[in-house]
Amino acid sequence: MNRTWLPITRALPAAVLGIMLAASLPAHAQETLRFGLAMPLSGGQALYGQDQVKAAEWGVAEINAAGGVNGKKLEMIILDTQADPPAGIQAVERLVSVEKVPVFITAWSAVVKAVAPIANDNRVLELSVGANSADIAKLGDYVYTTYPLADIDITAVAHYAATTMGKKKAAVLYVNNESGTVGAQIFKDAFTKAGGTIVAYEAYDPKASDWTGSLLKVRAADPEIVHIQGLVSDTPQVIAQMRQLGLQQPVTSYAAAYNPKLIEQLGAAAEGVIATALAPNGADNPTVAAYVERWKKEVGREPNGLPYTQYLHDAPYIIAAIFKSLEQKKLPPTGENFRAELLATKTFELPLIGKFAINDNHTVNSPVYLMEVKGGKWTQKAIVN
Amino acid sequence: MFSVDVIAQILWTSFATSSYFVLLAVAFAIVLKVNRVFNFAQAAMMTVAFYGAHTAVGILGLPGWVGFLLTLIVLLIFSAALELLGFRTLRRQGASPMFIFIFTLVVSELFAYVAMLIYGTWPATIFPSLFWPVRMVGPVVISAWDGPAIASVFVALAVLSAFLRLSRPGQFMIAVADNPDLAELYGINKDRIYLVTILIAGGLITIAMFLYGSRAQVQPTTSIELMLFAVAASVIGGIGNIWGAALTALVLALLQNSSVLFIPSEWQGFLLYIFLFLAIVFFPSGIRLGRPKRLSRQTETPEFDQPKGA
Repeated sequence: MNRTWLPITRALPAAVLGIMLAASLPAHAQETLRFGLAMPLSGGQALYGQDQVKAAEWGVAEINAAGGVNGKKLEMIILDTQADPPAGIQAVERLVSVEKVPVFITAWSAVVKAVAPIANDNRVLELSVGANSADIAKLGDYVYTTYPLADIDITAVAHYAATTMGKKKAAVLYVNNESGTVGAQIFKDAFTKAGGTIVAYEAYDPKASDWTGSLLKVRAADPEIVHIQGLVSDTPQVIAQMRQLGLQQPVTSYAAAYNPKLIEQLGAAAEGVIATALAPNGADNPTVAAYVERWKKEVGREPNGLPYTQYLHDAPYIIAAIFKSLEQKKLPPTGENFRAELLATKTFELPLIGKFAINDNHTVNSPVYLMEVKGGKWTQKAIVN
Repeated sequence: MFSVDVIAQILWTSFATSSYFVLLAVAFAIVLKVNRVFNFAQAAMMTVAFYGAHTAVGILGLPGWVGFLLTLIVLLIFSAALELLGFRTLRRQGASPMFIFIFTLVVSELFAYVAMLIYGTWPATIFPSLFWPVRMVGPVVISAWDGPAIASVFVALAVLSAFLRLSRPGQFMIAVADNPDLAELYGINKDRIYLVTILIAGGLITIAMFLYGSRAQVQPTTSIELMLFAVAASVIGGIGNIWGAALTALVLALLQNSSVLFIPSEWQGFLLYIFLFLAIVFFPSGIRLGRPKRLSRQTETPEFDQPKGA
């Protein structure tokens, strides 16, 4: 064998192996700012989860197209939770232990609560975007919500009904489960505090399909306004039976009632229904209008749960702002620093949500948009800060 | 609160809304009586019926009656498949009643999951609108849904009653229900009768879910929740008593709706469980009304002379 070839033949495989190893390393290990997104991509909630992931991807793409964070690209690692606590725990364990992200976004109250110990134990910031259980504010030092919790919008609509609308007697119909019971109590407390009186307070079974008895009791109490704290599945039916029994009072509800299907299902019976929304709509915000148009153009429809997708679209902007702030202060992007910087920054101006503030007590201040069915479509009635 | 107007309204609305409960209870009871199966797979049949109607009418935009007929055909095919591929196979393998019961539970959950995957979890209806026009008859509000619902039940039960009494398959069903082995000795094909029974159940379920889905929103798990009512009515009405189940469903619907006038509304959902508990503990054979006493004439037993030479 030729002696000059021997070193080359021995060196060549090593060189090839080295090149392959270098290529298999994350291409932007030193150049990307990574965070996690744990959402339901499969299972019963995938209908909403996939739209919310798409919205977040658009947010990341917009930030990167505008130059990223000081020239570094934002990288979002997406994992599936199936909206199921055990699957959520697995996904977040991977984000924290393997991907080593300093912050992750998740949603669905059951998952948010299940993964909170992982965030707290590992000092990784958990941002809940979309879940609204009031318990989220009490899940630990490293769990924050960027989405208003249940009491914000219900308090706003109760106060508005009692003061601006001048209604002094209200009836409350609520579904007999945790969300209905808590929400009804919030409305009752806020309405009473604003000077009103609750003249009827009736629960109904989540499996009910007829509300005649409860509605007759409400009718006998002669309220000026009726608040329904129900579910997406039963609120339209309750309103339909209300109108059929001759109850023509204005109806208030919360975000569960705010969807175009309600008008389709009730027709003229939906007139005067007031529901809350926690994000501006397209009619009043050109940026949101353009966002909705983009959905129609690229996906062929509006997103499922429009307000939730708006919050998910804007969540990467919060993360980008904190990364930028840490870079400017030359602080490493750890979970502790992320949390500290989140609280130091406090207020964010976001493209689809607008201005909102994160509080030390793990809640957010955000305007509540009161939407009313008028002339067969949802129109903005008021903004309550 | 307890005015004539209120009582009349509750009675009327309860009577109308009991329609689908009555049909579901009869469907469950007849399979229990004849096939001797606690058919929890009825929830799967209900899911298929509703989403079939929703697809035909809500998604494809077909007229209601066309949607109903297509749904009926689909459900009859599904019911036949359930019997031929499911229950008959299990019977031939000598499966125990417990195993068959577990099979029905698995089928009901499977189809709920399939519906979830295909249609999502968002509540759906058959027709785009939930609102039915109303008119006043005296103090009572009557919606345009009420009349057809009540009429459907009466017609369905009248046809069923006539079928059981007057037709050969109907009479064979009663024979098999009484004693399947003896019926087989008399030349009655049990397997064919089981198939006929589950097809009848499928027809009743189609009507019930069409009524329900035209008035309420349905999610993939709704059928499993509605099953409890059918089971409760069948148990309280007497296992094996079809008409007892029908009457019980009507009474339970009335009691549940009117109960809110007497008890806190939060307890309304518990009532069904309370009735079921009391029935199982105190009336395990169902609540039976005593047979009416018939007039009878009694005579003394005649004495016979002993034969001569005995």
